[in-house]
Amino acid sequence: MRKVLTGFLIYGLPIPLLLYSLTVGPSQGLVFADYWDWGKAALQGDIHESSTKIYMLNNIIENVRLPRVLLTFIIGAGLAASGGALQGIFRNPLVDPYVLGISSGSAFGAALAIAFPLLHINVMAFVLGVASVVMTYSFAFSNNKSSIVAVILSGMIVSGIFTASLTVVQYMSDPYKLQAIVQWTMGNLHHASWDKIETAALPVGIGIVGMYLMRWRLNLLALGEQEAKAVGVNPTADKATLVALATLTTSTSVAAAGVISMYGLFIPHLTRMMVGPDNRKAMPANIFFGGSFLVIIDNFSRSLMDFEIPIGIFTMLLGAPFFLFLMKKNKINWV
Amino acid sequence: MTDAAIEVENLSFGYGQTPILENVNVAFPSNRFSVLLGRNGSGKSTLFNIMAGLQKYKQGSVRLIGKERSKMSFSDCARVLGFLPQFHKSVFPFQVKDVVLTGRAAFSAFTPKKSDMEKVGQAIEELGISHLADRPYTELSGGEQQLVMIARVLVQNPKVILLDEPTNHLDVYYQTYVLDRLKKLTENKLTVIAIMHDPNMAFLYADHCYFMKDRTVVTPTDEFDYHASAFLEYVYDVRFTTVMVNDKLMVVPGR
Repeated sequence: MRKVLTGFLIYGLPIPLLLYSLTVGPSQGLVFADYWDWGKAALQGDIHESSTKIYMLNNIIENVRLPRVLLTFIIGAGLAASGGALQGIFRNPLVDPYVLGISSGSAFGAALAIAFPLLHINVMAFVLGVASVVMTYSFAFSNNKSSIVAVILSGMIVSGIFTASLTVVQYMSDPYKLQAIVQWTMGNLHHASWDKIETAALPVGIGIVGMYLMRWRLNLLALGEQEAKAVGVNPTADKATLVALATLTTSTSVAAAGVISMYGLFIPHLTRMMVGPDNRKAMPANIFFGGSFLVIIDNFSRSLMDFEIPIGIFTMLLGAPFFLFLMKKNKINWV
Repeated sequence: MTDAAIEVENLSFGYGQTPILENVNVAFPSNRFSVLLGRNGSGKSTLFNIMAGLQKYKQGSVRLIGKERSKMSFSDCARVLGFLPQFHKSVFPFQVKDVVLTGRAAFSAFTPKKSDMEKVGQAIEELGISHLADRPYTELSGGEQQLVMIARVLVQNPKVILLDEPTNHLDVYYQTYVLDRLKKLTENKLTVIAIMHDPNMAFLYADHCYFMKDRTVVTPTDEFDYHASAFLEYVYDVRFTTVMVNDKLMVVPGR
C-alpha cells in the first residue's frame, strides 16, 4: 500500500498536477466550464474560431501559465536532483546546491546586470554562478588535497565575498533598480516565458540526464573516497563530473528564476523518507517529485493572496519548520 | 612451497623528508592467511596502502601476482585485489545489500547487472549475514558492519584481499568469527593478508606472521622463531612471558 502511494506521488502526480496547475491563477471570473470548453476547442484545433473568452483564456494558458508551470517543474527537478547528488558526493545531508557559492555568485551577477545594463541578466547570473564554484574549488585545492570540510568552508567564504559585493551594488543602486535586485534574490518565476524555457531546458536537461545516469555511482561515492578506491574505482573523475552537472543545472536554474532557498536541501530528505537512501530509486524520485512539489508550492504562491508571494520566501518558510521537525524527530541520519 | 601473491622488494617510501618505509623486503605466499604485526607508526598501514595502490611509490618494486603494481590501472587491479580500509562509517542508512553491491562498481559502469546481484547474494551467504540483507547499514553493530565490508570486498572476486585491522573495535565473539571466516576463505584459493594488533590472535589463526619494526619488515634470526619472547620484546618494546595453552604457544605482556 505504502509502495503504491509513494509510486503515485512520484510518477503519477506530475501529469495531472501540470494540467490542474494551468487552471490556477489570479484571473477573475473563470469557472471550470470555461476550461472544459477551452480543452474541447484545443483538442479540435479550432481555438481561433471560438468565442473571445476562449480565445483570451487560450492566450493566458499558452503564453503565461504553460511556460510558467513547465519552467517551475524543470527548475524544481533540477534543484532537487542537484541537491541529492551533492549530498551524496559530500557525504553530508546538510549540503544543498548553493553550498558551493552558486546562489550568491549568481545573485551578484544578476545585480550587476540590473544596476549596470551591459550584459543580459541571465548570462551574468550564469557566468558568476560558475565562477563562484571555480573559486570555491581553487581555494579548497590550495594544498593539492581537498577535504569535504575544506570545500564547504571555502564555499562559505566565496558566498560571503559575493554577498558583501551584492550589498555594495544594492547600496549604490537607485530605488527602482534596488527593487528589481531584491525581487530577483527572492526568486521570480512570474517572469517565466517560452524564451526562458528555451534557454534553460537544454542545460538543465543535460544535467538531469547525466545525474540520472550516474545514480548508482553516487551510492559508491556516498560511502567515501577510501571505500571507492578499495574496490578499484578512482572517485575523482566521478566526483568532478557530478559537481559539473550539478553546477550547470543549478546556475541555469538560478539564472532563469533567481534564488529558491532551501529547496535542494529538503526535497532529497523527503524522497529519502519515501524510497530510502539508495540513489538508484532516490534520484528519479528527486527529479519527478522535485518538479511536482515546486509546482505545488508555486500554485500556492500565486493563489493564496491577492499578490504573489515570491517563491524563494515560500520555500524558505516551508523548509525551515520542516527541517526543525526532522531534527526533533531524529529522522536525519547524520553522524 | 607456494609462490608469492605479493612480492615487495627494496621498497622505500616517505612523505617529503620523513621516511616511512626503508628497504622493505617481504613476500606474502598465495592462498594463505598472513598477518602483519608491529607497533603503531611502524609503517604497516603505509605498506598496505602502497600494496593496495592507494599510495604511489618510486623506489623499489611491488609485484602483485607477478605484475608490477605501479603499471596496473585501477580497474585491472580491482580484478585481482580487494582492500578493506580501517573502520568505516556511513552517513546514509543504505541497505546492506546496496552497500555490498557497490563492490561491483569497477565492473559495471552505470547500472548493476543481474550477475552482480547474484554475487552479492553469494558473498553475504558465505559470511553468514544473509539475514541482514535488508537492514540499514548504519543500524548494525560494529562486528556486523565489518562483515558487510568484507562481503563488499569479496563480490569483486579478488585473488588477494588486504584487510587493515579487521578485528579492531570488535568484541571477542566477532574477532573469532571474522578470523574463522577469513581463514576459511583461503581454502577457496584466496590470499588473505591482514594487519592485526594482538599477537596471540595472530598465532591462533595465521599461517604466517610478519613483523614490522622501525620502518621495515624484520625477520627473526635462526636461533628463535617469532613466538620467542626475545624477538617479540624487540618488536614491541615490551617484556613478554611465554606460556603454553593446550599445546599452543601464547605470550603475556608484562612480567
